[in-house]
Amino acid sequence: MKKILALALALTMLCAASLALAEPITLQLWSIATESDSSHQAFVDAIAAFEAEHPDIKIEHSPTENEAYKTKIKAAMSSGTELPDIFFTWGMGFLGEFVDAGRVVCLDDYYPAYADELPEAMTVNVRYDNKMYGVPYTMSLVTLYANMDLLAQVGYDHIPASYEEMQACCEALKGAGIIPFGVSGKELWCLSEYVEPLVIKSVGGDKLRDMYNGVASWNDEGVIKAIAAFQEMVTKEYFDPSAAALGNDEVKNNFIAGKYAFYQNGSWNNKDIGEQAKFAVQAGTFPVLNPDVTLYQMIGGPNNTLAVTETCEHKEEAIEAAFYLAKYFSDADYKSGANLPCWAADPKAEVGPLIVSAADMAAKADNMVLFGDNFLSADAANTYLDYIGLAYALEVTPEEYAEGLDADLK
Amino acid sequence: MKRPFSYKLNIFLFLLPALILFIGVLIAPIILSGYYSLTEWNGLKTPVFIGLANYRELFSSKSINIMRALKNAMLLAVFSCFIQLPFALWLALKLSKHIRGERVFLSVFFMPVLISTVVIGQLWLKIYNPDYGVLNMVLRGLGLESWTRIWLGNKATALGACFVPILWQYVGYHMLLMYAGIKGVPPELNEAAMLDGCTEGQVNRYIIIPYIRPILRVSVIFAVTGSLKSFDLIYVLTNGGPNHATEVPSTLMISMLFLRNRYGMGSTIAVMLIVLCFAFALLINMAFKEEK
Amino acid sequence: MKQKAYRAPDAPRKVTASSVAGAVIMILWTIISIFPVYWMLTFSLKNNQEIFGENVIGVPRYWVWENYTRAMNTGNMPRYFINSVIVAVSTILITLLAAVMATYAMTRLHWKGRKTMNKFFMLGLTIPIHASIVPLYTTLSRMKMLNSYWALIIPYSAFSLAMAILICTGFMGDIPYDLDEAAFIDGCGVWGIFFRVIAPLMTPAVATVGIYTFLQCWNELMFANVFISKDALKTLPVGIQSLSGQYTTEWGPIGAALSIATIPTLLVYVFLSKRIQDSFIAGAVKG
Repeated sequence: MKKILALALALTMLCAASLALAEPITLQLWSIATESDSSHQAFVDAIAAFEAEHPDIKIEHSPTENEAYKTKIKAAMSSGTELPDIFFTWGMGFLGEFVDAGRVVCLDDYYPAYADELPEAMTVNVRYDNKMYGVPYTMSLVTLYANMDLLAQVGYDHIPASYEEMQACCEALKGAGIIPFGVSGKELWCLSEYVEPLVIKSVGGDKLRDMYNGVASWNDEGVIKAIAAFQEMVTKEYFDPSAAALGNDEVKNNFIAGKYAFYQNGSWNNKDIGEQAKFAVQAGTFPVLNPDVTLYQMIGGPNNTLAVTETCEHKEEAIEAAFYLAKYFSDADYKSGANLPCWAADPKAEVGPLIVSAADMAAKADNMVLFGDNFLSADAANTYLDYIGLAYALEVTPEEYAEGLDADLK
Repeated sequence: MKRPFSYKLNIFLFLLPALILFIGVLIAPIILSGYYSLTEWNGLKTPVFIGLANYRELFSSKSINIMRALKNAMLLAVFSCFIQLPFALWLALKLSKHIRGERVFLSVFFMPVLISTVVIGQLWLKIYNPDYGVLNMVLRGLGLESWTRIWLGNKATALGACFVPILWQYVGYHMLLMYAGIKGVPPELNEAAMLDGCTEGQVNRYIIIPYIRPILRVSVIFAVTGSLKSFDLIYVLTNGGPNHATEVPSTLMISMLFLRNRYGMGSTIAVMLIVLCFAFALLINMAFKEEK
Repeated sequence: MKQKAYRAPDAPRKVTASSVAGAVIMILWTIISIFPVYWMLTFSLKNNQEIFGENVIGVPRYWVWENYTRAMNTGNMPRYFINSVIVAVSTILITLLAAVMATYAMTRLHWKGRKTMNKFFMLGLTIPIHASIVPLYTTLSRMKMLNSYWALIIPYSAFSLAMAILICTGFMGDIPYDLDEAAFIDGCGVWGIFFRVIAPLMTPAVATVGIYTFLQCWNELMFANVFISKDALKTLPVGIQSLSGQYTTEWGPIGAALSIATIPTLLVYVFLSKRIQDSFIAGAVKG
């Protein structure tokens, strides 16, 4: 009897202990994948899959709209309390300030386990002093979307391959009453999607990266040439004359509605344009300005990233979750055609034609330099964008632009 | 009245809830902002004390250009006092004369005040849209093709285009305040004046307007301080652009805080704004007193 | 507080040029004032093509009611709505209580420095709400009050306080001082006078302070976004904001959400407008 009692007692204790152990851990995840975001479903599915494999861990996902998210994560980082365990971030400058303040966990000890699936080249934008602080999942490239139906009207069956051909094409389009390029002059980052390809195709990727890093001077022949070309596009009215008053949403809708021949923006637009445009679309890249520079010097790179906070209670679990989710998103966004994967992609996946061209460009890329406003720290990035705005409004000459950036980005 | 022993304690108790809220949420943060304004701080690392360097930079930096922001805000204040308030007063005077549908007009004119700034901002964005906006469409319809503009994208017109909705939205607010004041004018005064043969204009000028001075003073203070701290609509319409042409102190402050991570400089602008608003409120008060 | 209305001696109204011009301006202004509501309601029923150019101000051609179901099913709109109501009602109650008590102390009780105290509170009228976001955030987080209704109710109340006191001062000035005297002679203390005499007479102030405070907090976005990250506690403006995506925006459902957020305000206003205006009128009569 005693034995049975003791056994029963031991059993209950064991049960109790295991129950206590099974008390689930909750991880907070902040992101910008709101319900109308094209990657929202990927977040929901990935979390469900992770929770199914890890019954002792729960992930609580709080998405916030893009612009509001920036304010929110900065405020939380600034107070250092009430931080999530895992958070969405952009690489380089944005994550860099949090890393600098010691708010982010270094992932060097954990990365080797995933190195086969996540190539080291994809982690360049989340490394600071060569230490890795984030898990990238998708990358974006500046893409030149072309309305082939409109181009056909002026006799082009391909995206112009040289700068001269591009100019001739724009003149022909203008002659036919078609606006060559759609851009939002109100949202400065959209202007940078035009300026940066011109710059990289004039000075080359290595030099541009050195300029962002403050190693090379902005006061450079190539920069001046690129800005002169950009301002020429403005003065010759290759851009929508109403651009200064339009937001990016309107411009994108105008392009989808067939109002412009070209729209140059990030490859995250692949899905929307591919699904909504009722004309033949091709995705390509802007021709080179300087014949010494190769065509596939690209603006963009791995950018969307998950990182783990230093204040996180269950670091091991959070880091495992971050890698798991990142891999899942990388796959899901690629398959849905939303964006390019950072992780090794399933070669058999059936994807849309635009994402195929984007993947093709990524594969051919000799060099990828991240968007300037992501690369630079917040203060410098806004000064940089201000100059792009001034160049667009023709309030600075190309020379003043180059000198000004050189002086003010120190 | 006699003062019971606990009188002072009671005064304190009556004031306590308001004081806790007011000091805790408004005054303490201002003092903190005052401290932050003397530091270089990116919001993440510990603030570094740098004395008055932010203030010096604020008033000398060409890239911040605080003077342009202040000039824009003052211009708005001037428009507000000399166009918005007189129009509101005109409406209030009209409505208080028992016209048909007085209540309906009153309710309708007040309605824009109730509508969220986001909605109003979006509406005006559409009105100003260069291609299919109502404004340009009307101008084209009238054969004034050359008058059409990219209203919010052009440096010359953007500021004015921002002011119109701001002035428009709050006409109803001032009108209701003034209407309320006019309704408070003792009817005997009006009747006496009418019997003396005064015209309606004379009654307005010599009886009603002097009578509602305290309310006019409140309206002027709101109009001026409201202009100085104006933010929401400009933020939605242009966010200070094109190329900072429509920048006001609040938009500068927000971009310092949340775009550039310069919490020290953002706090400096906050402190400057508070001081200015307070100084103007005092000045207006004094002006109204002296005229008496 | 009903005043006998002034009426001009019954002279036949003449139709003059200026009276016609006046009427025209009034009617124009009426159209301009109603337009936003009309526009919001129609664009909440349109698709993106119509909103972005094909049919900007007309009546919707296809009546996309789906925008409303999408707005209601996206996120947790009913929950956000309830949260907004909870925050607004609590803010109004706290503001009223604090404002009426403070006004009483500053207008009906005699002590040195009450004028100064009043001016001190009036400082609040001039402080831009956005200026205090950083210090407030750090303080709230230290007090473990982020992600609670209090994180919004307390700042909203504090920022409404100055105006509430200003309005209450007007109302309280109208209450005859004889009443205090009589109550005092009957043996009431200051609290007795406050609760039995003053507070019941302040009921008309409720509508005025209420609508003012409601306007302050119902549409507020910045604090609501930064101080609340739990979905279950979010308010309507944040909910509406989260409807727009990373780089793409579909405006139909957003318009529907805007309408859902605005219609209650308008309904309350339609039913209470006479009351609200009357209280404004009473509040402005200071003598």
